[in-house]
Amino acid sequence: MSVRIPWAEKYRPKRVSEILGNRKAALELYQWVKQWSKGIPKKKAALLYGPPGTGKTTAVYAVANELGYEVVEMNASDIRRAEDIERVIARAVNVSSLFGAKGRIILFDEIDGMSGTEDRGGLSEILRVIEKTRIPIVMTANNPWDPRFRPLRDVALLIRFNRVNKNTLTKILQNICVKEGIKADYSALRLIADMSDGDVRSAINDLQAIAEGRRVLTVEDVKALLAKRYREYDAFTVLKLLFSSRSAEQAKAVLSQSELDYNDLKEWIHENLPLQYSDPEELAKAYDALAKADVYLGRIIKTQNWGLLSYAIDLMTAGVAMARRHPYHFVKYSFPSRMLLLSRTKEARQIRDRVLERIARKTHISKRGAALEYLPYIRAIFYANPKMGAGIARWLELNEEMVKYIAGDKEVAKRVIEYMKPEVSVRARRRSTQEKLF
Amino acid sequence: MSEILWAEKYRPKTLDEIVNQEEIVSRLKQFVREKNVPHLLFAGPPGTGKTTAALALAHDLYGDRWRENVLELNASDERGITTIRERVKEYARTVALGEVPFKLIILDEADNMTADAQQALRRIMELYTTTARFCLIANYPSKIIEPIQSRCAFFRFRPLSKEHVFERLKYIAEQEGVKVTEEGLEAIWEVSQGDMRRAINTLQAAAALGIVTAENVYKAIGMAKPKEVQEMIALALKGDFMGARDKLRTLLINYGLSGIDVIKQVHREIFNPRSTVKLPEDIKVEIADLAGEVEFRIVEGADDEIQLSAFLAKLALIGKRLRSGGRS
Repeated sequence: MSVRIPWAEKYRPKRVSEILGNRKAALELYQWVKQWSKGIPKKKAALLYGPPGTGKTTAVYAVANELGYEVVEMNASDIRRAEDIERVIARAVNVSSLFGAKGRIILFDEIDGMSGTEDRGGLSEILRVIEKTRIPIVMTANNPWDPRFRPLRDVALLIRFNRVNKNTLTKILQNICVKEGIKADYSALRLIADMSDGDVRSAINDLQAIAEGRRVLTVEDVKALLAKRYREYDAFTVLKLLFSSRSAEQAKAVLSQSELDYNDLKEWIHENLPLQYSDPEELAKAYDALAKADVYLGRIIKTQNWGLLSYAIDLMTAGVAMARRHPYHFVKYSFPSRMLLLSRTKEARQIRDRVLERIARKTHISKRGAALEYLPYIRAIFYANPKMGAGIARWLELNEEMVKYIAGDKEVAKRVIEYMKPEVSVRARRRSTQEKLF
Repeated sequence: MSEILWAEKYRPKTLDEIVNQEEIVSRLKQFVREKNVPHLLFAGPPGTGKTTAALALAHDLYGDRWRENVLELNASDERGITTIRERVKEYARTVALGEVPFKLIILDEADNMTADAQQALRRIMELYTTTARFCLIANYPSKIIEPIQSRCAFFRFRPLSKEHVFERLKYIAEQEGVKVTEEGLEAIWEVSQGDMRRAINTLQAAAALGIVTAENVYKAIGMAKPKEVQEMIALALKGDFMGARDKLRTLLINYGLSGIDVIKQVHREIFNPRSTVKLPEDIKVEIADLAGEVEFRIVEGADDEIQLSAFLAKLALIGKRLRSGGRS
């Protein structure tokens, strides 16, 4: 887990001429976008496809930059249901540019990451957008041959991006080393390139992990550090390392040595803080740090300012570890129970939702309002007066399950339910009279 | 007549039945007489009659045909742009039935609409003015975007006076054949203030126990409140953090309360003179400060369980300080 500026970002080509891998593909995109200045071309969308890290997104931004376009991007981190797409498109088309760009390119990044349920209607919406569009639309995908992309394939200009060959890749790594002032052996860079499978991004990430802060890089360094990467730290080890850290640096290093991401780490720490820290002073201080880290994470989501991540991680690691006043002692850590709890109570929560829906419908209020303003009183009435409770339950058209949920107590629910079915006893009586007749 | 919720049973059906908010009601009646209504924005605290006034207006305006001409949506449940675009637009563009030339769209809890949805709404309000008028209802009008506010006639609803609340409660009690004591009414006022819905719900819960005395009112409220809030605070102050966090999870997951609901209830509990949680006065203020920070953070987008856990850890520390007699 790294909090520095990723080199893959820092050295992302800004112009088409700087692109080394898949330059031909990038040029094809360049020509196509250029046509738009003369009028709408026959293919109104381009589909860039190929394995990860082969420069698809890079090509889009470089071409846009060079031709003076602004890119409006929707990627897998956005929800891409039909309405979300429509909203973004409407903005892209209607709002005039702040930066004096010539026009806009709409980029649907990683369309194979679109999910069938979350992004319902997304693909057909993209298709509709392409039909109507007056600005260039670019999509990227790893595997364009998925049957659900067929309609998109038919209307788009297909541009293929290949795995970047090892010579080119080594060259890219060399250029970065020069700019970072690192004296690197050719064989060291070649080894990184060999292992990357033509994925430029992962090669650059590896290089950064190994070489950042060094002046010299040998093939031995690469071998030693790549081996270390495969040593997996499981969450328990991470917690042990974290809580036993003696310095802020040591605590901060924990995350970079593990496969855990910061959101998982947050859950694990939250679960285990009270197990590790029994002294209230320690616990309050550590929770304070974790809560502040969480505030930063919230701000990152809201503002997309990822620069704040390093503060969140400082607080979550060093902040939590440095709350310790007593010597470290081993405790048995637990798996985060919040997720388990959510899945275990799923059914009850669904019933609750239906109950609130019924109340909301009858009382002109939202479900949240129903939960706050009505549910507690109905519960109280169930306890105090099952007959009145039964009347209300009938009026709300609640079933037994719902009554049980509201009551939260078997006995109370039973009493309410008994009052709810006078017609049963009537029918039962009638049946017994009928039986007598025969 | 089966037992139903009194707050609903005694909701005024027409503008004439609304006893308070005289000024608002007289202006609304003017609209009915002219058969012309501007876009409306009703703002004010909960339980002050905003939804009631909107429904009564609809009733008086359309008479028996009010159901055909009114769309009632609750923006808290359907707050997204999809609802606005699909349901509202679809409804707004069709012609009204009857002698009033427009339909009425009531958007309750409109301050919970997303910004996108509000922008979409603003356009729809302009485009379909001839066929539809909007009545937006909000607790916090400042959360309604400026361009919408400027298109609406603004009505501010104020908390009901004690007189009005008592008058209504006595009327309901009489209709239901329930005995109410003066102390009982005072106790209801204490917990509901000018919130008529809460007052009536409290009345009914107390009446479920028998005569509405102060004792029964407090008993009913005690049953209505999730006991976990008090237990959670007590456990935390005692130093049982794990126990307190379990109660917190019950509130969030089983009761389905939002983090904000929980912290608000904690806050109320701290200052509740009848609470079993007894704290020195200066500590109450300290906790109020902590609670305010928690609410602010959650509103800003932080994780409610983690923020509230951190809050409980601080309570545990305060509890320890209190036990050792120190106050630093």
